[in-house]
Amino acid sequence: MNAFAVRNRIRELRQQRATMTQADLARSCGVTRQTIIALEAEKYSPSLELAFKLARALERNLEDVFQYQENK
Amino acid sequence: MFRIQRRVQALLAVAALGAAGMFLGGEGWLGIDFGPVGAAVLYAALWVFVVHLAKYGGEVFPEEWSPAEKQAWVALVFVALIGFHMLNLLAALPELGTEADRLRNSATRPLWTNFGLLIFGWIVVASILRKQDGGNVGLDERDLRIAHRASRFADGAMVLLIIWLVVTLVALPEYSRTWLRPLIAANVLISLLIARALADNIYTVLRYRRERG
Repeated sequence: MNAFAVRNRIRELRQQRATMTQADLARSCGVTRQTIIALEAEKYSPSLELAFKLARALERNLEDVFQYQENK
Repeated sequence: MFRIQRRVQALLAVAALGAAGMFLGGEGWLGIDFGPVGAAVLYAALWVFVVHLAKYGGEVFPEEWSPAEKQAWVALVFVALIGFHMLNLLAALPELGTEADRLRNSATRPLWTNFGLLIFGWIVVASILRKQDGGNVGLDERDLRIAHRASRFADGAMVLLIIWLVVTLVALPEYSRTWLRPLIAANVLISLLIARALADNIYTVLRYRRERG
């Protein structure tokens, strides 16, 4: 069976917005900064609700932020 | 910040030494009973830790720990200490014979004071932490998911412990079962609940650690 993983570009997109810190992003999504750290390190896959909040905070579409990829 | 954390680590090492003296020293090592000294060292170290926490706040724990992870570590330390006390009690009760049937006996008397001190200390530390993290998000979906998984793991561990206990009791020869008095059985059941809480907290802190990578 193929293994799939949710990859994300949260760190990249956040860093494109020079003033946005992990704490800012955490505050706007209602999570702890440590959860943003876990998400950026791809150690944690968020719920659909949090994924939408993150995409909205980063002003991107959901698929710009998250990709569902097959592990090679 | 790192200086404070190193100091706290040293403090916890001293507390661990005190706990070792307290729980293992009752019989005396090299003719010296380290029990009371160990207890004094443990409680003094915990007191200094509380003072540090109140004074230096967020610098005591690593910055990458979430509020829920800090609470899990604090719970782990206090539940482990309570668990050690229960193990000590379970080891001491069979020696007491019929005295073990009384709720207040020579083994349980010092226990109430220690439990009281530990639970009071736990409440103080947890409330200081809650106050310090007051303005931030305390618990989010990742914390709840970890708590849910930890709870399932702890339930599984408790089921295994109960099965092990049942098998042990059934397999014990009749003469070995004479020590199993009602209050000892009650304490064994309480110990199972403490073991469940311990499994829950161990899983929680390991999971947070793993997710930090």
